[in-house]
Amino acid sequence: MSKSSQRSPFGWSNRGGQVTVIEAPVARSYRRRATIAFWVTLGVVGLLAATVASEYMHPILGGLLGVVLGAVLGAVLFALIVAWPVLRVFWHWLPEILLGLATVYGWTTLMQSTPLWGSLLIVALVVGVPAAIAPTRRRVMAWAWCLIVRHRLRLCFAAFIATNRHGSLPLILLAKPTPAGERVWVWLRPGLSLRDLEQDGQMQKLAVACWANEVRVMRAGRKYAAFIRLDITRREPLAHTVVSPLPDYVPTDIPANAPTSPGMPPVGLDLPDVPDVTVIASPDAPRQRKPRNPTTAASPNGFDPSDYA
Amino acid sequence: MDLTDTIELPTPADTVPVGAGLSIFDPVFLGIDEFGHPAYLPMIYRNILIGGEPGAGKSSLLNTIVGHAALCPDVRLCLLDGKQVELGLWKDAADVFVGPDIDHAIRTLRRVQTVMDNRYAFLLSHRRRKIGPNDLFGQILVACDEIAYFSATAGDKKDQDLFAALLRDIVARGRAVGIIVAAATQRPSSDIIPPSLRDLFAWRFAGRCTNDVSSDIVLGHGWYARGFSSNSIDPNNQGEGYLIAEGGIPNRVKAAYMTDADIIRVADYATWTRRRSGLVAPAESAVKVAA
Ligand SMILES: Nc1ncnc2c1ncn2[C@@H]1O[C@H](COP(=O)(O)OP(=O)(O)OP(=O)(O)O)[C@@H](O)[C@H]1O
Ligand SMILES: [Mg+2]
Repeated sequence: MSKSSQRSPFGWSNRGGQVTVIEAPVARSYRRRATIAFWVTLGVVGLLAATVASEYMHPILGGLLGVVLGAVLGAVLFALIVAWPVLRVFWHWLPEILLGLATVYGWTTLMQSTPLWGSLLIVALVVGVPAAIAPTRRRVMAWAWCLIVRHRLRLCFAAFIATNRHGSLPLILLAKPTPAGERVWVWLRPGLSLRDLEQDGQMQKLAVACWANEVRVMRAGRKYAAFIRLDITRREPLAHTVVSPLPDYVPTDIPANAPTSPGMPPVGLDLPDVPDVTVIASPDAPRQRKPRNPTTAASPNGFDPSDYA
Repeated sequence: MDLTDTIELPTPADTVPVGAGLSIFDPVFLGIDEFGHPAYLPMIYRNILIGGEPGAGKSSLLNTIVGHAALCPDVRLCLLDGKQVELGLWKDAADVFVGPDIDHAIRTLRRVQTVMDNRYAFLLSHRRRKIGPNDLFGQILVACDEIAYFSATAGDKKDQDLFAALLRDIVARGRAVGIIVAAATQRPSSDIIPPSLRDLFAWRFAGRCTNDVSSDIVLGHGWYARGFSSNSIDPNNQGEGYLIAEGGIPNRVKAAYMTDADIIRVADYATWTRRRSGLVAPAESAVKVAA
C-alpha cells in the first residue's frame, strides 16, 4: 500500500505499455488472502455439507458432494477476493454509475417513444426547471457536493492519513448536506484513532483537498470511538444578522410615556472641561505595585503559562 | 421550542401588566448555530463567561441575556457595567445598576452574598437543597460587563482582589439559590481575572479573538488543539463565536441582535411591568444622578 499514492483514482496504473489493473504487491497480498479463504471455505463448507449430505446418501458420495460444494464456494470466494480491488472501485463509484446508466437508458427510451423535439422538450424541462428554481438547484448542488466529498476524502485517506499495516482505509459512510457544507460520517478501522486525524495539519490538508474552507473532526457519538464525524465548511451560514425575538414579547400598545431616568446636563464632555488635578492616594491604602514579576511576562504570541496554572 | 408561540401577549394597557410570561427556567434564545438551527442557552443554575476582542459582540450577547431576564417577572437584575452604556439602557428595570464605581460594586456584591447566605440558611431550615420554579423567592441575575474594569483597573489592588473574591464566591455558591452570573470581558487572562474565578464558569462564549491562545483562555485550555479557535472567525461578522454549553463541545453560533431601539422598547416595557408589579421601585439613584 506504500505505492498507493502513485495510483490513479481508478486503482490501476499504466506502465510500459502494459496495463496493470492491480499492482503486483497488492495483487500478491490479495491472492494470499484469497488462497487462505479458499482453503478455509473448502474445509468448513465441505465438512458441513458432507455431514448433512451423508444423512441422505452413501457417506462416500456425500463426502464427495461436500468436497465439490466446498470447492465451488471456495472458488467463488477466491475470485471475489482476488477481484476485490477492482470491485471496490465499482462500489465506490456506484452512485455515478447508476446515474450514468439511468441517463443513457432514459435518453434512449425517450428517443424511441417520442419524436426528437418532444424528447428535447422533456429533457429541457427536467433539467431546466430544477436549475431555474434556486432552492432545488441548491439542493441538487448540495447532493452533488456530497458525492464529490466522499471521493475526495477517500483520496486523502489513501494518500496521507496514516493507515494500519494492512492498508485498510477508514470506511466512509453517509454524507449529508448542511447549511455550511457537508457532514460525513466515517468508521475508523483498527490502527487509526481520532487523535491521528486531529494531529496538526491533517484537517487543513483535508480542507485543501475538499476545496473547502475548513474541516473539523469530532466523535459522532458517545458509544463508539471508531465512529467519527467530519464537518466540511464551505459557506458562511452565520453571515446574516439574527433578529432577537425579545421585542416581540412587548405588546404594541404600551403607553409611550414609559418612565425613564432624567437626562444629564452636557458638562465635562470634552477635555478642557476636565481639570488636571493630581491624584492623592489615600494614606491607608497600600501602594499600587506591578502585579507580578516581569520575567514571566507573556511571550510574543500571548501565551502566559500562569493562565493554565 | 419556539419562544414566540408559547406566550400570550398581555391584554390592553388599562389592565395591570402581567409581564411577558417568560421564565428564567426557559432557555434563553441565543441565536442560530452553523446548521441554521436555533441555539438556546439554559441559564438557570448556570453561569456564563463571555470573551472576545473589542467589538466582538460581547455586550450584545449580554444584552440578550439581560433582556430575557428583564422580561421574566420574578428575576431581579443586578447590573455592573464599567462602561455604563452597555447595560445602561436596562437601568430603570434593574434593582441595582453599578457604573464605574468599584466601592458601589463591592457593596452590591456583598449584598448579593448576604442574600445568598440567607437563602441557603432558609433552604436548610426547610430541608431543601435548591430552589425551583415559582419558589418563595425569585432569581437574581448578576450581569457584569467589562469585569476587567473592576478586577484590574479601578481602585487599588485590595479592592480589586476583594471584588474578584466576592464574585468568585457568588459564582461558586450562587447556583442553587438562583443567583446567576453572566460576565463579559475582552481577554480573561490571569492578570485580569484570577484563573480560579475564570474556571468556575460552566458556559463559555468566545467571540472573535485576536489569536488562538486568547481563544483558549476563553473557551478553556486545549480547544485550539482540537480545532476550535475563535481566531478563525471573520472579524466583520460580529456576534459570531464559539459557544460551550450543553453538549460540552464548542458550537459555532451567531448571537441574536437587538438594536438600541429594540432594547429601549423591551427595557421600557420591563420597567413598566416591574414597577406595576412592585418588583422595582422608581429608582432613587436616578434622581440622585440628575441632582
Ligand atoms: N449578534 C450581532 N449581530 C450583528 N451585529 C452585531 C452583533 N453583535 C454585535 N454586533 C455589532 O457589533 C458592534 C459591537 O458590538 P458590542 O458592543 O457588543 O461589542 P463588544 O464585544 O461589547 O465590544 P467592547 O469590548 O468594545 O465592549 C455592535 O454595535 C453591533 O453593530
Ligand atoms: Mg462591550
